[in-house]
Amino acid sequence: MLIASGLSKSYAGKVALHPLDLRIDPGEIFCLLGANGAGKTTTINLFLNFIAPSAGSATIGGLDVTREPLASKRLLAYIPEQVMLYKNLTGVENLEYFTSLAGGTHTAGELAGFLDEAGLARADAGKRVGEYSKGMRQKVGIAIAIAKGARALLLDEPTSGLDPKASNEFSALLQKLSGSGAAILMATHDLFRAKETGTRVGIMKHGHLMATYATSELGRSDLERIYLEHMHD
Amino acid sequence: MKMALLIARKEFTEMLRDGRFRGAGAIVFTLLAGALLLGWQSHREVSAQHRSAQEATRAQWLKQGKKNPHSAAHYGVYAFKPQVPLTLVDPGTDPYTGVAVWLEAHKQNEFKYRPAQDATAVQRFGELTGATVLQLLVPLLVILLTFNAFSGERELGTLRQLYSLGVAGSELASGKALGVAAALGVWLAPAAILGSVAIVAASGQSEVVASGPRVAWMALSYLLYFGAFTGISLAVSAWAPSSRAALMILLGFWMGNGLVAPRVASDLAKSWRPSPSAFAFGQQMQTALAKGSDGHDPGARAKALEAELLRKYKVDRVELLPVNLLGVRLQDSENHGNEVFDQSYAALWENFAEQNRVHQVVAWAAPGLAMRSISMGFAGTDFAQHTHFAKAAEDYRRMIQRTMNDELTYRATSTGGPYLAGEELWNRVAPFTYTAPAAGWVAERQAPSLGVVGLWFVAGVVTAGWSARRMRVV
Repeated sequence: MLIASGLSKSYAGKVALHPLDLRIDPGEIFCLLGANGAGKTTTINLFLNFIAPSAGSATIGGLDVTREPLASKRLLAYIPEQVMLYKNLTGVENLEYFTSLAGGTHTAGELAGFLDEAGLARADAGKRVGEYSKGMRQKVGIAIAIAKGARALLLDEPTSGLDPKASNEFSALLQKLSGSGAAILMATHDLFRAKETGTRVGIMKHGHLMATYATSELGRSDLERIYLEHMHD
Repeated sequence: MKMALLIARKEFTEMLRDGRFRGAGAIVFTLLAGALLLGWQSHREVSAQHRSAQEATRAQWLKQGKKNPHSAAHYGVYAFKPQVPLTLVDPGTDPYTGVAVWLEAHKQNEFKYRPAQDATAVQRFGELTGATVLQLLVPLLVILLTFNAFSGERELGTLRQLYSLGVAGSELASGKALGVAAALGVWLAPAAILGSVAIVAASGQSEVVASGPRVAWMALSYLLYFGAFTGISLAVSAWAPSSRAALMILLGFWMGNGLVAPRVASDLAKSWRPSPSAFAFGQQMQTALAKGSDGHDPGARAKALEAELLRKYKVDRVELLPVNLLGVRLQDSENHGNEVFDQSYAALWENFAEQNRVHQVVAWAAPGLAMRSISMGFAGTDFAQHTHFAKAAEDYRRMIQRTMNDELTYRATSTGGPYLAGEELWNRVAPFTYTAPAAGWVAERQAPSLGVVGLWFVAGVVTAGWSARRMRVV
């Protein structure tokens, strides 16, 4: 579903992402780990076509994101570190707006159902987003992905700053989406969450994907040890 | 288009829920409605005063009793400039140029009743008119609504969300422009309805019908002007590094356009084509007039005219002439005066026209100047329509003088004593009527300004679309 082939990015001679080859299949949650500046967000931005690749290609469902930007974006949902919404609109209004822009037409009941599914309380759905916590906004982000029926999810540190309970709920939602066949690429610093939620993890450093591991093959403390080993220069 | 409408609906909803918009919009609406009501009140009072004064001056003319036609010519009449209903939106130059003129023998008088003469400097600066609100405050409201249209989304992070959904920059720009237009409509539509009611209430049915094309031109021009501001604001918001920078740039443009450019254009025009003071202009005319005769004193020109008449009618004494020498001399004096007035006023008005061309040039950089000109033009209060009326009034004055002098020339030949005319002669002078030029006449003269506003609108739309398409997301 998500494929990077020799995908790289340089800024004025400085390499932000060395040629990356990566494939994430439907039902997979691939967690990218790495320090700040390792190239995680650059990878996500390249899949989103927010920046143009210096070489290689990124495809979503077989569609090259630079050649078919609109068609490829119809297949994906994006959840950043802070899902930013319009504070003067309610949660359900934000959901309706973003899903409408994505081409969806949903009844009020369906929209309420998506928010329910994402774990947002009914009473909160009608409140203006200005009153929402970060966790509640993240749930609206998930609801957008559900409503859109996204086949690929790009998540950029989505659990950063969430309390353990909210983070746990978020992981459960991701697993549910993955279970329904979505391919998920998540950049994160949270080793525990990556191990618990991900099906595979990749460790990035200085723009290189250093190694990838299946989480099922890793013990509870292995990931931290491997990660720290990679972080030593 | 569907996407743009979705965005517009969201923008509209958000703005309506934003207390700052409601507050700013309410202030602009209150000022606009207040200005229109004050304009309506002033228009109604001034129009009634003019009608009453015009009737009174006509009655005085007709009931002046028996007197010599030349005395009647000196007695004179007033001519009042009828107010186009749109004057209540934009009084334009009327407070400075005046709206009434005293028509009498030998003189093309300056206009009277210039409210600006009686106003203090502070009053002149702070006068609230519908045009001031539309030209200065509505663009400011547009800026406040749009300066963070893109930069704010980028700073908030919602721009990434939108672009991740496949929203194109041009659709975003269209949607935001439509949203701003709808939000402005919430405040401007009631004001426009109020203005229309005021225009209808202040005018007769025929005036309302005649004003229709002027209203349409003015409304379209203002819409283009607001559209231009919206486009520019969106473009700046798209490429400015931050919302704060966008606001600073746009406020700078607003100040330059609305406050600095008029002053600069005015100073440039005056230094490039200095206009004479009223005193110098009067002196210059007096010098030129002195070269002729005033018709009363037997100067060299009068003597030459007498000799010419004696030759023409082959007689050797004035008493034998078949025409009245005084009547001929007075008309000759008028003819000379008319030449002087035509030349002097033509030179003065050409000077003003040259100054106006400076404003037109500066307007390419500051569309507010062009909008001001268009607004005054369709309100019937620009200088071109002042001169149009002044010429009509002067033609009427000359007709009166010719009628009075002809009466003396051809009918005062056989009286032994002073010749006295009566109501029959006064009735021969038809009442003064003036029809303001049609909207097409105004549009023709406002073509450069219409071009400027139209071009800024197109440039605003194109630049907004172009900037939105090339806007950086991260």
